[in-house]
Amino acid sequence: MTTPESSELLGTPKAEFLRSVRQALGRGDVPPAEPYPRLTDTVLEMEEQSSQIRKRLEENLPALLDKLAEMAALGGWNVHRASGVEEAIGYIESVARDSEATNVVRSAQDVFDSVPVDAALANMGLKVTTVERDETNTREALREEIRQSGIGITGADYALAETGSLVVLPRQGLSRLVSLVPPVHIALVRPEDILESLDDLFLLRRLEYHQRGGEMGSYLNFITGPSRTADIEMTIVEGVHGPKEVHMVILG
Amino acid sequence: MPEIKTQEFSSASAAAISDPKLRRALDRVASGFEVARLARVADATPEVWDTWRQEARDIKAHTIEHLDYYLDLLYTNIIAAGGHLHFAKDADQANEIVAHIARTRNVKIATKSKSMVSEELGLNPVLEAMGVEVWETDLGEYIIQLAEETPSHLVAPALHKSKEDVAELFTEKLGIPYDEDIYHMAATAREVLRDKFMEADLGISGANFVVAETGTLVIITNEGNGRLCTSAPRIHIGITGMEKVIPSMQDLSIFLRILPQSATGQRITSYVSMTTGPRRSDDEDGPEEFHLILVDNGRSKMLADPTLREALYCIRCGACLNICPIYARIGGHAYGWVYPGPIGAVVSSMLVGLKQASELPQASSLCGACREVCPININIPRMLLNLRKKTAESPDPDVRSAPASERLFARAYARLMSSPGLLRMAARLGRILQKAEHLMPFFSPLTKDGKWIRSAPLPPLSKWNKARDLPTLPKQTFHELWEKGLSRDDS
Repeated sequence: MTTPESSELLGTPKAEFLRSVRQALGRGDVPPAEPYPRLTDTVLEMEEQSSQIRKRLEENLPALLDKLAEMAALGGWNVHRASGVEEAIGYIESVARDSEATNVVRSAQDVFDSVPVDAALANMGLKVTTVERDETNTREALREEIRQSGIGITGADYALAETGSLVVLPRQGLSRLVSLVPPVHIALVRPEDILESLDDLFLLRRLEYHQRGGEMGSYLNFITGPSRTADIEMTIVEGVHGPKEVHMVILG
Repeated sequence: MPEIKTQEFSSASAAAISDPKLRRALDRVASGFEVARLARVADATPEVWDTWRQEARDIKAHTIEHLDYYLDLLYTNIIAAGGHLHFAKDADQANEIVAHIARTRNVKIATKSKSMVSEELGLNPVLEAMGVEVWETDLGEYIIQLAEETPSHLVAPALHKSKEDVAELFTEKLGIPYDEDIYHMAATAREVLRDKFMEADLGISGANFVVAETGTLVIITNEGNGRLCTSAPRIHIGITGMEKVIPSMQDLSIFLRILPQSATGQRITSYVSMTTGPRRSDDEDGPEEFHLILVDNGRSKMLADPTLREALYCIRCGACLNICPIYARIGGHAYGWVYPGPIGAVVSSMLVGLKQASELPQASSLCGACREVCPININIPRMLLNLRKKTAESPDPDVRSAPASERLFARAYARLMSSPGLLRMAARLGRILQKAEHLMPFFSPLTKDGKWIRSAPLPPLSKWNKARDLPTLPKQTFHELWEKGLSRDDS
């Protein structure tokens, strides 16, 4: 963590910059007259809202899973709903077979404890690397491994029914390059990952931010469908800098 | 700052209008983005859409009114997350900050994801002059970087280029065989840039939003280059305008709905990437240093003018470009500076100064479509009128757009229209002149059917009449009809 003292001062000093903003606004240094409602609610209030969200999610789970599958497909995911672990692994095997991949990289997340993909993929003759740093698997070595992989497999922190998005947060064993660099990305979504809306997500993230004493985590990424561009003649091309082919396996 | 060509607006527009290739490209935009946007509004229902617009506008209005407060809050939280926030009053200062970071960290290669503000600053030449390799990585930006041009649209920077243009460009600059297959060209860009992402020391991004409460930078992209720029290199610098701050993380839900849906008509883009500070000690990857540079560069002029302040609410979705009948005919480059289209006519005028951009406020038919599609309900036509007023009334002869004769005419017109007696008299006189016209067949300003005046005889009306027709005076005015009891039969 950088302390304010060690922060380099470049450009215009803050006080001077803010003074010129105030001058333009034609007023002195006064906080907002009306306190901004979203910044004044307490952790307790957010916790209350969060438990309401959890309750609503539980009550509507089957409908939300349907909605997620529908919106994810509209967003460009190949959606597969697996009734059990074997079916999920079978689907992943079929994706691997159809791709030309020889190397697969996966994150080290809880979901792989219940969905053991490594053995199945190794049986097919694929080299499977897990993002776990040690003496030989340095950051640089893992990065190169990810680059050589034809398929990246990750879990989810959240899945949003509103937009069909996968949401990933930083954690040990989860490189954000796994879902980005290989041409094929497979995401495993568990029913407990699902959220109904953007509003749900940002309330929960804010709550966690405050519960952790102001720690947001270094990133939060939404992934919705394949990488794409329409920069030449408005023609949509999939797979520019990110994956061309993305699969969402919904467990349940 | 990049070269300013706003003073050439008239000639550049005339040239653009007669360019059939550009017209075809512009047709594709209108039919692509706007049609998709309408589908999203229909999905949400127009009623819900309007409540979203109002909510987004309220958040922006509140933040801009208390911009100093939220900038201070943002500063506190970026520092707390281990990042750096720098304030730049102008383009030179912003460029110098980036240059300083690049110099002191021994940066050799920089990759950039799309940033209109960096275009505004003219950052690339500054870094290149220091010997830093700069790679634009958004496909559209990469194309225009190779072509040494500027973006012509806020969202689709290379839309003015046909696939043949791009194929020729790739052949010339990359030395590959000519291939106009769009899929192959995108794959070429992927190959070329892939190595650069991994080798780059510095990733530069813009920001669609910056959250004051948490110190979070948000970028919204489709290609994945933004994610690579912000996670692969060891340093990440975000550069954006000071107006992009929003108070709370929870405000994002409304903006993540309206921005992509208004911009490209997507429900959401492929990626939304949020960065808060550098990588933490147990993160697997991410930059070791995070910097955000917030620039003023003339924005406080908009802030200081209550009639133009709402231009700072803009989220750069480009919806006003896609609907604008003027943009649809002249494209982005004719506007002569970084920001094109209706909102660009306001923003560019203010950032480069009316002295050089006095024609830009005229780049509108004031039809109001821009305001109608704006997800923040920004009253662009009113701002353009205000700017026209400023140019008309400016004491500086270089800013003043109208010649003395036009100003005299406007004053006489105002006098006429505010005096019923004079107006009645003028109408009578006009009718007499109109009748007399038949007696002088050699001098005929009327159209054959007598319904329109096509070539008024005297300036300044004759000049105005060059590109527009004026309806002829009716036999009876509305007032005369009203006095008689407003019977249709009398007409």
